[in-house]
Amino acid sequence: MLGAGLRSGSWNRAALSATAILSILMVAYPVVSVVLRAISKGDIGTEFTLDWIAAVYENPRSRDALLNTLIYTAGASVLSMVAGVGLAFLSIRTDLPGGRLLGLMALAPMLVPPFILVIGWVAMADPNAGFINIAASLLAGSKTSLVNVNTMAGLIWMTGLFLMPYVFLLVAAGFRNTDASVEEAARVCGASRLRMLRTIILPLQRPALLAALLLVVIMAAGDFIIPATVGLKARIYMLPSLIWQNSHSFPPRPGLASAQGLLLLIVGLLCIYFQRRALSRGARFTLLGGKGLRPGLFPLGRWRYPLAAISWLFVLCSSVIPLTAVTCMAFMKYWAPNALTASNFTLATFKYILFDYPQVWPSARHSLLLGVLGATGCVVLAIALTWYVIRMRGRLARLVDYAMVLPLGIPGIALGIGIMSTWILVPGGIYGTLWILLLAYITAHIPVAMQFVGSALHRVSTELEDASRISGQSWLGTLRRINLPLMGPALLGSWLLIYVVILREISLVILLYNPRTIVLSVGLMDVWANGFYPELAVYSLLLMVLGLVPVVVLGKFARFSAA
Amino acid sequence: MTSTTATELAAGGAGLSVSGLSKTYGQRGEIRALDDFSLTFPAGQCTVLLGPSGCGKTTVLRSIAGLVTPDSGRITIGDQVAFDHAAGHEEPPEERHLGMVFQSYALWPHMNVAEHIAYPLLTSGLAKTEIAQRVTAMLDWVGLGGMGNRFIHELSGGQQQRVSLGRAMVGKPRAILFDEPLSNLDARLRERMRMELLALRQQAPFTSIYVTHDQLEAMTLGDRVVVMRAGRIEQMGSPEEIYRRPRTRFTAEFVGIPNLLDGRVRDISAAETVVDTALGPLRAVGWRRDRQTGTRCTVAVRPTLLGVSRGTVGAGQTEGHVIRTAFQGSSSVVLVDVAGAQLVIETLAEERHEASTPVAVQPAQGAVFALLDD
Repeated sequence: MLGAGLRSGSWNRAALSATAILSILMVAYPVVSVVLRAISKGDIGTEFTLDWIAAVYENPRSRDALLNTLIYTAGASVLSMVAGVGLAFLSIRTDLPGGRLLGLMALAPMLVPPFILVIGWVAMADPNAGFINIAASLLAGSKTSLVNVNTMAGLIWMTGLFLMPYVFLLVAAGFRNTDASVEEAARVCGASRLRMLRTIILPLQRPALLAALLLVVIMAAGDFIIPATVGLKARIYMLPSLIWQNSHSFPPRPGLASAQGLLLLIVGLLCIYFQRRALSRGARFTLLGGKGLRPGLFPLGRWRYPLAAISWLFVLCSSVIPLTAVTCMAFMKYWAPNALTASNFTLATFKYILFDYPQVWPSARHSLLLGVLGATGCVVLAIALTWYVIRMRGRLARLVDYAMVLPLGIPGIALGIGIMSTWILVPGGIYGTLWILLLAYITAHIPVAMQFVGSALHRVSTELEDASRISGQSWLGTLRRINLPLMGPALLGSWLLIYVVILREISLVILLYNPRTIVLSVGLMDVWANGFYPELAVYSLLLMVLGLVPVVVLGKFARFSAA
Repeated sequence: MTSTTATELAAGGAGLSVSGLSKTYGQRGEIRALDDFSLTFPAGQCTVLLGPSGCGKTTVLRSIAGLVTPDSGRITIGDQVAFDHAAGHEEPPEERHLGMVFQSYALWPHMNVAEHIAYPLLTSGLAKTEIAQRVTAMLDWVGLGGMGNRFIHELSGGQQQRVSLGRAMVGKPRAILFDEPLSNLDARLRERMRMELLALRQQAPFTSIYVTHDQLEAMTLGDRVVVMRAGRIEQMGSPEEIYRRPRTRFTAEFVGIPNLLDGRVRDISAAETVVDTALGPLRAVGWRRDRQTGTRCTVAVRPTLLGVSRGTVGAGQTEGHVIRTAFQGSSSVVLVDVAGAQLVIETLAEERHEASTPVAVQPAQGAVFALLDD
C-alpha cells in the first residue's frame, strides 16, 4: 500500500476521514454528556453523585412517571403493531374491498403531524365538548360522556394511531415482496391457507416484525408531544414530560432530568441494537424471487365487509377525522359544547394568528431557515459519509457506519439534554444561538439521511464511476456529473423528509431554544398553554402547511425509499 | 461502418509495459491476484489476457487503468510513467488517456447516446462544434448513426456495447482496455460483435488489451495471447502457437483440448519426437529440450485431428467403443473408449455412431501433436 499523500488525489480521502471523525464525535458526545450530567451534582465537572439516579425511582412523581411511561409504551406499541400488521396484511394479501387505497391511506398519518392528531382528538373526544360525546348526548337525550381523551387509554389511542404507519411501512414491504412460488410450494406440500400463514408467511416476516416493534418502543417511550400536552393536562406524568418540567419548573432539577433522560437513552440504544441485529439477520430471509408471480390473495369470505369497515374506520381515525376536526375548530369563534353552528363561524382567528400574533413570523422564519439548512446539511454530510463508508471502506469507515445509527436510539429530549449539557460549558459557544438548534437537527437526522443516500449510492455501480474516470473526469467531476444526477431523486426525497420532520420537531429543541431563537413548532406549546383551541387549530394548520408545501411542489421529482 | 474515417478516428496508440506488478487482496493479503507480473504490450497490437476467473487478468487491466493500486511494480504508458511503487508515484485514471470497454457496458442511465460519446471530449478543451463533429463521426463509425438522442434503456444489448466502444475510442486514447466486453451478450450476438471488433481492428489498428475467459474470442482477436494462471504468465504467443503447441496441461485444457494422452518417448529427433500412446506411435513437438528415450510424457491431442470409422481395424488404427455421440449441427462429437481412456473426437462426417458400436480410431494424415512440459 502506498502511504497517504503519495497518491495524487488523496486529499479527498484525508478530508473525508476528518469529516468522518468529526461526525463520530458529533453523535457520540451527547451520549457521554447525558451520562456525566446524570452523575454530577451540578454541571458536568462538578462533584460526583448517584443521588439523581436514585431519585429516578425514589422521587414519587418520577416513580409514577416511570410506571406511566411503561404502561403507555406497552399500550401504544401493542396497538400500533396490531393495527399496522393487520392493515398491511389486509390491504396487501387479502381480497379486502379497496385494499390498495387503504394501504395508501394507512400511510397518510406520516404527512399529518402528531399535534394535528392531538388537537383533532381533543376536539373529537373531550369529555365535555368533544364531537363524539356531543353526538352521544344528543342521541341519548341527556349529557353522556362516551369517550374521554384525558385518560391513559386516550393517550395510548392517539400514540397508537401516530405510530401505526411506521409499522405498516416496515412490514408492508415484506408482504409485498413475497414470491408466490414459496407459498405455492407450501400449498403443494399440503398446507392449508391458515397453516401456510402460520408456518411460512409470518415466520418470513419475523425480522421485520421485530424491527418494527423495537422502533415503536423507542418512539413511544421517547414521545413528547402527547405526554406534554394532553398528558400533563390529565396529570398523567411521563418521563419525557417530566424531564421538561424538571429542567424548567422551579426549582429546576437538571440532574434529575438527565438521570431520567439516561434511562430513556439506555432503553433506546438497547432497542436500536436489537433492531439492527434483527434487520441484518433479516437479510437471510430475503427472497430472491425477481420474476416471481404476485402471490395469491387470501379470500376473507363473510368477514370481508366487517373487516373492511373496521379497517377503514381505523385508518380514517388516524388522519382524515382529526384533520377535519382541527379544520372545523379553526373556523370557530369559541370552542364549547354544541359550537358547530353557523353563528359561531369566523375567520378572525386566521387573521389573528397570521397577522397579529407577534411570535408567529419570527419563529416561522427560524423554522424555515433551520429546515432548509438542516435538511441540506444532513444530505451533504450523508453524501460525504456514505461515500467514505461504501466506496473507501476500511476500519474507520466501519466505525462510522455503526456510529451513525446511534441517534436513532436517542430520544429527542435525551439528545437535547446531551447537547445542552455540553455546550453550556463552552463560554462564547453556540449555546443560545440558532446554530445549536441546527446542530441538534443534523445530529438527530443524519441516520435517516445516510439510509437514503446510502441506498442510492449502492444503486450506482462503481463501474459507472470508473468509466467516467477513464474518460478523463476527476473524482469531483465524476461525483458532479455521474453520481449526483443518478442519486438526485433519492437525495431530494431525503431532503424533503428531513425538512418536514425538522419543521414539526418539538422534543429535540424544547430544551435548547430561548425566546430569541424560538421556532414555530415549539411555539405550539405556548399556544397550548393559553388554552384557546381555535388559535391552536389555526397555528397547527399553519405549521402543517409550511411543512408540506415543498413536498407538494417537489414530491413528484423525488424518490421516497431507502430500501 | 465507414472506413474513410477509420484512420483519423483511431490511430496507432502507444505501447505499454508493466513490470513486477504484485497485488494481494483480503484482510491479511491472503488472496494473491498478481505475482511479480511483467509484460510489454506493443503499440498497435491486440494483446489478449486469457484465463479462468481469479487468474489475475482483470487485476492487470484495472491496474493499467488506474482503478486498482498494485502493491508493487511499475506501469508505463507510452513515455509516461503511470505508476511506480518505488517512487511513490501514481497517476489517477483520468490522467492516463485510456479508453475502456466494460463487461457491464457501464453506461449512464441519465445520458443519451451522444452525451456518452461526447463525455471523454469534455475535458479536451475542444470547441463545441468540433466535439459535435467528432461525436457524429464516431456514431457513424460504430454503426449508431442517427441514434444520438436515444437513451440507454431504448437500445439493444449490442447497441449498448457499441456506445461503450464509441465512448472508449472517441478520445483517441493511447490504448483501449476491454474487460470481457462480450460476455454479457447472447451467443448469436457475441459471434457477430466478435467479427465486428475484428473488422474494426483491421481497418485501423490500435493498441488494445483484451481480457477474456473465452478461448474463441482470444484466438480471433489476439495478435498475441497471454494465458494467465494464479497471477503469473503460463504461456504466451500467437493464437496459433497457443492452440497448436500448448506448453502445459493447464493451457491445453483451457484452450479446449480435452484429450491428454499418457505416453512414453520412443524416439527423439531434431524436428520432432515420437511417443508411444494408446493410439500407437504419435508424432509430437514440445518445448523442452531435455527429454530422453523411454521417459513418461503427455501428448495433447486435438479432437479434430482424430478420425473415427466403423468396420475392421486396419494398419495405424486402434480399436475403440463408442460411449455416446453428440450431434452439434456442423459437426459431431464422438466420445470413444480406447483401452480404458476416453477420447473426444470431433468429426465432420455425416455418419452417426450409436453407443457401444466398435469403431476404429486413427490420427489424421501427417498430424503432429503437442508434447506437454508437465
